Amino acid sequence: MSWKTHLSGTTIVPRPQVQLCTPAMKERWQRELLPRYATSHGALMPILHDVQHAYRHIPYAAMLEIAAFLKLAPSEVLDTVSFYEEYTTEPVGRCVIGICQTFACEICGHKAILDHVRARLGIDVHETTDDGMFTLLAMECLGSCDSAPVALFNDTLHERLTIERVDRLIDEARASVGHSQVVHS
Amino acid sequence: MKLPEPILTKRIPCHPHADPKGRHIVSYDEFVKTGGYRALEKALDLEPAQVLATVKDAVLRGRGGAGFPAGLKWSFLAPDDGKGSRYLCINCDEAEPGTFKDRLLVDFDPHLVLEGIAITCFACKLDVAYFFIRGEYHHQARVMERAIEEAYAAGIFGKQGLMRGKAKFAVECHVHRGAGAYICGEETGLLEAIEGKRGWPRVKPPFPAVKGLFGRPTIVNNVETLAAVPPIIERGVAWWKSIGVESSFGGMASYGPKLMGVSGHVNRPGCFEAPLGITLSSLVNDYAGGMRQGKKFKGAIAGGVSMGVLGTDQFDAVMDFDIGRRCGVLGLGTACPTIFDEDTDMVAIARNCARFFMNESCGQCTPCREGSGWIYKLLTRIERGDATTADLDLLVEVAGSMGLSEGTTICGLADGNNWAVRTIVTKFRSEFERRVKPKFVPIHLVAR
Repeated sequence: MSWKTHLSGTTIVPRPQVQLCTPAMKERWQRELLPRYATSHGALMPILHDVQHAYRHIPYAAMLEIAAFLKLAPSEVLDTVSFYEEYTTEPVGRCVIGICQTFACEICGHKAILDHVRARLGIDVHETTDDGMFTLLAMECLGSCDSAPVALFNDTLHERLTIERVDRLIDEARASVGHSQVVHS
Repeated sequence: MKLPEPILTKRIPCHPHADPKGRHIVSYDEFVKTGGYRALEKALDLEPAQVLATVKDAVLRGRGGAGFPAGLKWSFLAPDDGKGSRYLCINCDEAEPGTFKDRLLVDFDPHLVLEGIAITCFACKLDVAYFFIRGEYHHQARVMERAIEEAYAAGIFGKQGLMRGKAKFAVECHVHRGAGAYICGEETGLLEAIEGKRGWPRVKPPFPAVKGLFGRPTIVNNVETLAAVPPIIERGVAWWKSIGVESSFGGMASYGPKLMGVSGHVNRPGCFEAPLGITLSSLVNDYAGGMRQGKKFKGAIAGGVSMGVLGTDQFDAVMDFDIGRRCGVLGLGTACPTIFDEDTDMVAIARNCARFFMNESCGQCTPCREGSGWIYKLLTRIERGDATTADLDLLVEVAGSMGLSEGTTICGLADGNNWAVRTIVTKFRSEFERRVKPKFVPIHLVAR
């Protein structure tokens, strides 16, 4: 729900001495992203993707740095961050499990899988495990209705899920987090 | 009704023409070997205006949902004032529930889309193309990025001019990834997202063709629409018009092949290429292998949830752009039906649709922001069995009061909610009535 409001009047923005947006990152943005767009604002979304990927969330301090880099108001950066679901202001788990809950997946049994993952990880939807390993999300249509039920494990889509496969995927994710490709079953 | 040969899926094996097991990403070399970029070469021999006229004559109707003719949209472009870039934005946001057709093209044949982009940019004199792809399509974004790199290396795009400098006109092409917002599939919401802002749709007019991305003339087209441009240029208008059907109401015809993704309770769900004008029953039985476990058809989401549902008696609905008028739905949409069998709980489906719209409403217009949550609450109450008949009427009233067509919102997201909920409730009313309690009015009030 992109329009949910949060009380922000008392938010304390930590300002660490270390630079979150490293010179290497900024150099790449300057070289690759800025020339693509007519305004510096245009490069904001790809930059946020970068930061989200690097820190698993977008710290407020990083927003200040990005705003300075793009010559925007920090509020403009926060505006974009708070609107899109893929950007988070709190760290997500190393493995984000996004289970599709739209009707094509619902009629093919997403509920059993969602409940199983919930019970196995001991967390509810939109929560992260205490060890920071998993975040569970219930997502809207992932555009793979022909192979329902589906789920995203980080950026890899897994199709035709069963409880056994989800269990295996969770075990694999524990062992290693990363690589991505579509796994056609 | 079957196409004599696959057109958009020429290089992507699909039922019933070929076995989908042989699918792979078509590289630049393989694309060129199988006749790729020939249409671009042919287009570059013509004048831009001739290319535009060809697409306009072919009545290529937009494949993204609204069915607005692409050629006509292109002709609305403001004349080139030489004051900066003009843009093409390719809409691959495909977040409509039940829809997975553009994914097929981008997954396996990205160069077909790129060829369409190059021809469109040439015809309309657009010098920068942004391929907007939804955030959840990680793999597809990478496939597209690699394909664009290949196209640059082969000289299709880049400073030297289209097709290794065959045309003086140069085109740049970039991928822009979304970040998980359904509203960015709305064309002006998409423009806002590329500008780096929240994806709030703009008030129209001015239309994007006059004042779009970064305030410049812009064309926004769906992936499948652009993929249909090369075949039209290569094989001509008469051939294109030989596929599909005329309008039965004397309106605009529905020509050409269409990708149709069938999901839900069928034996072989998947994306198929069929001529417009095919019946839903033929799509299910001949393409998707029939109903699962031999069960009976109960209903179907017409083509993306925003279009509404087809009732039990509409199994033979003709899938063309007139379906809205004929079957009491909003339109053809993306032509990706989700099929429900006799055991499906339609109240649960309605609740699921309402939740989707509540989660994806961008919050800009009050009727949609508040109405979508209200509808969801009413439907959960009905599903639980706690509602009364008055709630059912209230549900229809709330749903019917929001949307572009009612004049209460800026974009069409609320119309989707409106049609999805209203058509389910009207076409399956008895199921809803069974779940609600009667509303008793105290007798002394009636007597007076």
